[in-house]
Amino acid sequence: MAEYIPKYVGTITKYVFIESPSMTPGELALRAYEASEGVLIKETCFGLQLTGVPEAVDRLIDEIRSFDPTHIFVKDRGFPPGDPRRCRANLGGARPGYLGHEREFRILRYITRGLEELDRRGEDAEVPEAEVLREKRPLLDIKRLQELIETEEQ
Amino acid sequence: MAKVFIYPATSLILSDLVARFGHKPLGAALGIRERIQTAGVDSPPLQITPEEPKRGLKYAAVEVPSGVRGRMAIYGPLIEEAEAAIIVTDADLAFGCMGCARTDELILFSLRQKGMPILELKYPTNEEEGILFVAAVRKFLTSLPEEGEA
Amino acid sequence: MNRKVRIAQLTCGAEYSGVQKEIYDAAESVGAEMFFPDIALADVERAVKAFGLDVRSADLKLMIARGMALVEGKVEADGVFIGTCFRCAEAAIVRNELRRYIPENSKLPVVSYSFTERTTSGTLLTRMEALTTIARRRALLAREEQTGITMGVDSGSSTTKAVVMKENKIVGTGWLPTTEVIKSAEGAVAQALEMAGLARENIQAIGTTGYGRFLIGKHFGADLIQEELTVNSKGAVYLAGHQRGASTVIDIGGMDNKAISVIDGIPGTFTMGGICAGASGRFLEMTAKRLGIDITELGPLAMKGMGKNVPMNSYCIVFGTQSLVNALAAGSSPEDVAAAACHSVAEQVFEQQLQEVDIKEPVIMVGGTSLIEGLVYAMGQLLQTEIVVPPYSQYIGAVGSALLASGFVQEK
Repeated sequence: MAEYIPKYVGTITKYVFIESPSMTPGELALRAYEASEGVLIKETCFGLQLTGVPEAVDRLIDEIRSFDPTHIFVKDRGFPPGDPRRCRANLGGARPGYLGHEREFRILRYITRGLEELDRRGEDAEVPEAEVLREKRPLLDIKRLQELIETEEQ
Repeated sequence: MAKVFIYPATSLILSDLVARFGHKPLGAALGIRERIQTAGVDSPPLQITPEEPKRGLKYAAVEVPSGVRGRMAIYGPLIEEAEAAIIVTDADLAFGCMGCARTDELILFSLRQKGMPILELKYPTNEEEGILFVAAVRKFLTSLPEEGEA
Repeated sequence: MNRKVRIAQLTCGAEYSGVQKEIYDAAESVGAEMFFPDIALADVERAVKAFGLDVRSADLKLMIARGMALVEGKVEADGVFIGTCFRCAEAAIVRNELRRYIPENSKLPVVSYSFTERTTSGTLLTRMEALTTIARRRALLAREEQTGITMGVDSGSSTTKAVVMKENKIVGTGWLPTTEVIKSAEGAVAQALEMAGLARENIQAIGTTGYGRFLIGKHFGADLIQEELTVNSKGAVYLAGHQRGASTVIDIGGMDNKAISVIDGIPGTFTMGGICAGASGRFLEMTAKRLGIDITELGPLAMKGMGKNVPMNSYCIVFGTQSLVNALAAGSSPEDVAAAACHSVAEQVFEQQLQEVDIKEPVIMVGGTSLIEGLVYAMGQLLQTEIVVPPYSQYIGAVGSALLASGFVQEK
C-alpha cells in the first residue's frame, strides 16, 4: 500500500464565484492579485480559487466581497487548486461537484436579487419569508381544513 | 458565530449565505479537506480508505451499503458538531458527496433528530422567491446565538 | 504495449466505499485506464427523462447520463465498467438496466460489479483483463480455426488441464489435480504430449489461462497469457460448433462461476463470482466425498434421484453441508441427496449469476462440472432449455488457449 503525503497542510482553499454584469472573472482576478498578500490565487472560468492560511484567506475574501457584494459568492473547497485527483484532464470528465455548481449557478441571479432587495430595505425591514417547509408549521392549515370540510358537505 | 450544517452539503448558495451572515457553514468540503490534509494510506481521489465505511458503522449498520457508511464517516462528525442547520429540500441534483439518496435521507433524519434550530425551504425559482429565500435565511441566521465556540 | 485501453467508469459509491484506488490499480495492471465520460448538467436532465428510470440518487442519474453519452457516441470508450454498492437496491436496478442497455445499443463490452469496502484490485483484475482483451484483441478473438501445433494449459483452482492441438484437431490431453502449480502443469503437459506423440520442441505456440496463468505462462514462455472469460467463451463456441451468432456459456468452476453472454465468439456481458463455495463445484466434490463415491459417479447417481425429496440450500457451503448431513441422517437415499446437491448448485448459479446476463440459446455448459450430468440436467430444468455440453468440455480453457495461441504461429 502506497503512503500518502499530503501537500498544503494547514491551508484552506475557497472558491470565489462571480456572476456579475459589471465585472468579469479576469477583472476580479486582477483586483484580487493586488490585495493577495501571500494568498495563492488561481483563476478559473467562473472566478477564483484562493489558497492560504485561514486568516489570510478570510481577510482576502472580505476584501474581494466588497468589490461587488451581491454578485460574488464564496464556498469552501476540500482540495487544493489544480489537484490532479480532481482535474478534468485526468478524470476524462468533470468531477461530480462541477455539475452541482452548474445547478446552483442557474439560480444565483435570484439570490443576487434577494440580497439587493434586502440591502435596499435595510436590516430591520419586514420582508415576507419563503414558505418554510417544516419548522413550526401545522400539518394542515386550519383554513384549508375548513374549506375541505365545506366542500365535502356540499 | 454558530456552526450551521448546510444541506446540500456541497451548496455554494448556502455556504455563502451562512458565512455572509456571520456564521460558520459546515459542509462536505470540510470533511474532504480534513482527509486530503492527513497523511496515511494513499486512496485517491478523496482519501477515503476502506477503513472509512467501517468507521461509518457508528452511524449505519453493517447491512447498509458501503457507500452510505463511507459518506456517513464524513458527515456524522459534522452533524454532531452542528448547532443549527439549513436544509434545501428539493436538492435533487446535488452530485458526488451528496449523490446518494439513501445517505441524504439518513443525514436529514440525523439533523432533525438533534433538536437544534433547523430551517427547511426550497430553492427559489424566480426573483420574487429569491427575495423570500434570502429573507428567510437571513432571519434564521440572525436568530442564532452569535457567541458559542467557533 | 500500444495505446492504453480506455474504460468508461459508470459507478455510484466507489469513492466513498474507499475502492476507487482498487479500480484504478486493476485497470492499470492490465494496461487500461479508467475515465469518467464528460457530460453537462443539461445532459443529465435530458438523459434521465429519455431513459425513463426515475431514480432519486443524483449519482445514479449521472450513471444513466454517462451510459447514454456512450451509446450515442458522444463519448468514445473501449469498454465500460459498471459498479455500485453491494446491497443497494436502487443502484442494483440502474446497474442491471445499464448493463442491458449498453450492449443492446452499442458494441461496447461491459462488465458490472457490486462492491463493498472489501473489494480489492485482485478481485477486479480478471474482469478488467477480459474487458481490455475484448477491446484490444478483437482480431485475435475472431480466430475460428486452429493451425499448426499448439498447446493450451489451464491452471485452475482445483485442476490443471493441458491440451495439444494440431491442424484444428485435439491430439493430446492431460489432467491433474492442482497441487503445486508448476508441478501440476508440468505433469498435465507431459501427459498431453505423450498422448499426442509429440515433444516440447514440436509445439509452435503456447497459451495459458486460469488462476495460475501468469506463473505457468512465464514458466513455459507462453505466447498468450489470457484470463479464462474470453478463453472459455472462445473454446466453448469452438467445441460446440457455434462460432457465429449468440450463445450463453456457463462454467461452474471449483472456486467461482462464470456466466458469459457470447456474440460471435466474443463475450458481451459476463459475470464472475459466487458468494460462497456453496454455489460451486467444490460443494459437489464435498457431496461426493460425504456419499463415499467418486465425483464421476455423482452425476449418474443424481439422475436416479429426486432432488425435490430433500430440502437443500447451498447458498453457504457450511449450511449446505449441514442439510446434506441432516438429509442422510433422516434416511434420504444417496440418489435423492445427490440430485438435491446438483439442483441446489444449479439454483444458486441461476439466482446469483444468470440473472445478470441475458440468456440466449444455445446454452453451453463447460468445465469439469459439465461432466456431472445431474448438474447439467438441473440447470436445463431451471432454464427450460436443452443444455449443450460439447466434447472435451472439461478441457475448455486449454482448448481455447491452444486455439487462440495459433494466432502466434505464423509470427515465428
